[in-house]
Formats: sequence, C-alpha cells, structure tokens
Amino acid sequence: MKEKTIYEHLREKGLSRRDFMKLCGTIAGMLGLEFSPPVKALGKVLNPSPEEVVAQALKTKPRVPIIWLEFQDCAGCTEAISRSSSPLLSRLVLEDIAIEYHETLMAAAGFQAEKAREECLKRYYGKYVLVVEGSPTTADDGIYCTVGGKSNLEILKESAAGAAAIIATGNCACFGGIPAARPNPTGAVGVADLIKDRPVVNIPGCPAIPEVTTGTILHFLVMGQLPALDSLKRPLPFYGHTVHDHCLRRPFYEAGKFVGSFDDEGARKGYCLYKLGCKGPTTYNACAGLKWERGLSYPVQSGHPCLGCSEPHFWDGGGFYEGQSAPTMKLDKGSTATLIGAGTALGAALAGVNAVKKTRARKAVVKPEQPVSPAEEKKED
Amino acid sequence: MNWTEILSFSRGPLLHISMIIFVVGMSYRLVRVVLLGWERDRASNKGSKLKGVVINYLKGLIILPFIPWVGRTFRRNELTFIAGGLFHLSLFVVLAFGTAHILVWKSLFGLSWKPLPTPVVSFFSSVGIISLIILLVNRLTHPVLKLLTRLPVWINWVVVFLPMITGFIMARHLWFKYEVIFSLHLISVSLLLIWIPLGRISHFLFYFFSRTIHGAQAGKRAIMP
Repeated sequence: MKEKTIYEHLREKGLSRRDFMKLCGTIAGMLGLEFSPPVKALGKVLNPSPEEVVAQALKTKPRVPIIWLEFQDCAGCTEAISRSSSPLLSRLVLEDIAIEYHETLMAAAGFQAEKAREECLKRYYGKYVLVVEGSPTTADDGIYCTVGGKSNLEILKESAAGAAAIIATGNCACFGGIPAARPNPTGAVGVADLIKDRPVVNIPGCPAIPEVTTGTILHFLVMGQLPALDSLKRPLPFYGHTVHDHCLRRPFYEAGKFVGSFDDEGARKGYCLYKLGCKGPTTYNACAGLKWERGLSYPVQSGHPCLGCSEPHFWDGGGFYEGQSAPTMKLDKGSTATLIGAGTALGAALAGVNAVKKTRARKAVVKPEQPVSPAEEKKED
Repeated sequence: MNWTEILSFSRGPLLHISMIIFVVGMSYRLVRVVLLGWERDRASNKGSKLKGVVINYLKGLIILPFIPWVGRTFRRNELTFIAGGLFHLSLFVVLAFGTAHILVWKSLFGLSWKPLPTPVVSFFSSVGIISLIILLVNRLTHPVLKLLTRLPVWINWVVVFLPMITGFIMARHLWFKYEVIFSLHLISVSLLLIWIPLGRISHFLFYFFSRTIHGAQAGKRAIMP
C-alpha cells in the first residue's frame, strides 16, 4: 500500500485547503525560506512563492516518524513544545508528522512502552528522526539513567543506529546542560559527543524554543536535509545571530544607558541589562526574533538578563547576575595574600643573596693588597 | 576547539594564571626595588614631608599636565608630551569609567561606581589608540629615539596596543563575532598582565612610590618639588 502523504493525512483530519496554505506560509516564513541557502543548493526555484516549496513537499512526502527519547532532563523541552502557542505547528509535529514514540507524552507505560519503541525502531529503520532530550550519562557505563533496565547509553546507540537524523533538543542533550555542571557526577555529555556516525543537530536552549525544534524538523521534512549548521552544530537559520544582535534594548546599550538594579529608574525605563549580567552578546539564539508565546515576549523584554542558555556550559560560566566581562576564576583574599607573600619572599631572598655578595665584594675592595690565604677564606665562609 | 571554548578558557584559567603571575611578579619587583638599599638621609627636617608629597602629586598629576607650557618637558618635546598625556588620560578614563571594566573591578574588589556614557568612553578609547599610533610613528622616525629603542620597547607597545584595539572593536561591535574579539581581548590582556612585572610598564605602580618619595624628600628640605 502506498504511504499517505502529509497533505492527504491533514485533509483526512479535516484541515481545509485554505488552512493548509496558511500553514505552508507559516512554515516558509518561519524557516526564512526566501533567504535560505539550501533552497538554492537544491536548485529549487521560489517563484511564485516560497510557501509553494513547502506545499509541494507536504503534498508529495510521506510522514516522518519521530522517536523522542528522554535522558537526564526535566522534560521542560517537551513541556515547551506541547504547550507551544503556535498550535498549528506543534500539532503538525505532535500529531501529523508524527511522533511515534515519546516517553513523556504517550499513553503506554512499562513493558508496553518498551515494546512500542523496539517496534518503531524496526518498522521505520533508516527513516525516522530521533529526537533526544536530556543528557546521556557516561560514568559507570551509564547506570545513572536507565529505562526499562537498559542504560541510556545502550538505548541511545540502539536508537541512533537506524536514524536518518538526530536532533538534540535542549542544552542538556546538546552540551550536557545542568547535569553536566561542575562537578558533573554522572559524566553527562552532549549527544554529538557520543554519536559520530549520524548527522546530529543541536537545538540548545533551556528549554529549546518550540518553534525552533519544530522548525528544524520541518526543514528536514521540506528540504529532505538538515539546515546549515554552525561550529556547535546549531541550525544557522535560528542560531545565526546573538540575542544581543536583535535585542530590543540594544539602542540603550549603544547609548550607555544601563539598569543598575532590578528596581531602579533605569529598569522602569527599560534600559539595557548588561550590568545585571546579561549574556546576550555571546548567546546565539532566536529569542529576540521569534520570541516566546507567539511573539509576546522573551526574557530580556520582560526585564531579566539573558542567562546564555543556548551556550555550552552556561551553568558554569560565571554568576548569572555578574557582568559578562568579569573573570570566571577569581583570586580570593587569602590566595592573593599568599601570592604577595610568595613574591615578597622571593624578592627578599634574592635581595639577601645580593647583599651577601655586595658585602663580600666590598671587603675584597677594602683590603686588596693583603691577599687572603685559602685557609682564612674558608674560615670566613 | 571552537571560539566558545577559547572564550571560556581565556575568561577562566588563562586570566587566572596571568593574574597570579602579575601579583607575584609585582610584589617581587617592588621588594627588589625597596631592598636595593637606602642611603642614609642626614638632612634635618626643615619643612613638612606630607606637604611636599601633596604638592608633588598636585603639580605632577593634576595641575601641570593641563598647563604644560610652564614645564620643561613640554617645551622640549611637545609631541611626546601631548600624545603621551592623552594616551595616559584615555587609558585611565576607559579603564575606570567603561561599563565593562567597572564590572571587572566590581567582581574583583566589590566596589562599583557610575560609568561614563558609552560614546564618551569610545571617544577616549579612540583618542588613546590614535595617540599610541602617533607615538609609534614618532619612535620609528625620530633619529635619537630610533637608537634608543630595543626589543622590550616594541613588546611594551604591542602588549598595550593589542588590548586597546581589541577592546575598542569589541565595544563597537565591529567586524568580528563578539566571542572571537572578546577572546582576543582577554588573551591580549593576559599577555599584558604577564609582561607588566617583566618590563617597564611596571611604572604604573612604581610611579606612585617615586613621586611620594621625591615629594617627601623635597618637603623635608622645605623646597618646592
């Protein structure tokens, strides 16, 4: 039997053609297709409109099964995506594309759930997209995170083997996140550190912006390939700019108008949050562009500095409310005193040696005509 | 290794190590200078040491730089005086009143004060950079200075210039990605911190000792420093 295309599937569910075209427009807009290099790379022509590229893909391609695994995490990324206020997009991903296995969302539990996963892996071998949320643990063969008696390492390797692409969502899955914070007792790492033979995309964030996760999945669906990635394997359409680049408080940064504390005059006037420890300048994410809750707001807009949650090891990158320019390792009073002591001691010791040398030299100058016998020289020493 | 890792390395361990070298090195240098030995000063106290010190600082740091024509240094070499003076002034303004630098002092010493507006700091920053370039050109073309200039002088110039230019580019968000230029700025600052105890830039600390001592000696002899 021929597999149903996404379009057919959507029509069966009662989506009108008009709504379908709206959806295509939304997707094309979100992916920034007009400017997206992959479109050119694929030799696709965007005339008359980019949404047709999307429509064409949805009409002709079968659904992409998604297997969603959870390791050391808080399920916040799932929360974000399931409560996303772009209902059309998240419904598309959750129901229509579709998620075949999701440890948090599915009704099945226990052995039943494990069986479902194994069946999925077999049935869609080589076709499915594997989404990983949460960090795999490596310490002691991964025993710190086990599901159904299997260690997370085993589950990850098994599931990655037949994946067409792997999407690591959230900072934990991408870079180890909070579980990997010092001293990292479970040996948490990012998925890309373990899986080298499959294409891995990182969608970091805490949580990852739901539109970015769905957008990357849709990009894979529409283009048949993953989006262009940066050096940290993050999709460039969403992680091409820093939060600072598109920040709505940026003019205040340029003018040097800063918030000094959370309740001062500057805070009420919406000045720049740099002095409160904003990590926006080094944080690559789509927060300032896509925003959250259907473009309603994002942390900086609502008055809180950026924590840099889409950057590796943001948990250990200095205090959240400490300026970004501050050094991350500091000399405390005790160690400074020790260092000054060490320098002083060294200086004093060398000065002492010098003084002894000088005294000897002076003695030698004072009585040059009375040669000292070797025996006497020894005595002086 | 990507730039994010380089940045966290240079913000963390690299800066830490260079600060350790800086603290140990400066205290070593200071002790060596102090223990070089003091000639016994047999002059009796005719005036006030404190007065001498105060006058010496007032004249040397606050009054004379702004009415330079009364001093010999200016009349003999205007260019060095103006470019050098502007360089030191801008360095002070940027380090003491730039927002990012105030955050550094706050994290190190727990003290914080109001920054100057960014455009003002940027202005001083560019003035400092331009005057440093002028001083370099002067050194390259002046017949006597050319003879006096050896390798350490070039190192001095480079390790001071690099933090200034990278800092300016970073603050203005020019050309580079922020984490790249941030790392380069921190690496160059670390180089500077390591070099300071080894070279003559240590005058940033010794200057105050010598000015105090000379002021006190002049005050003791009741003469104007």
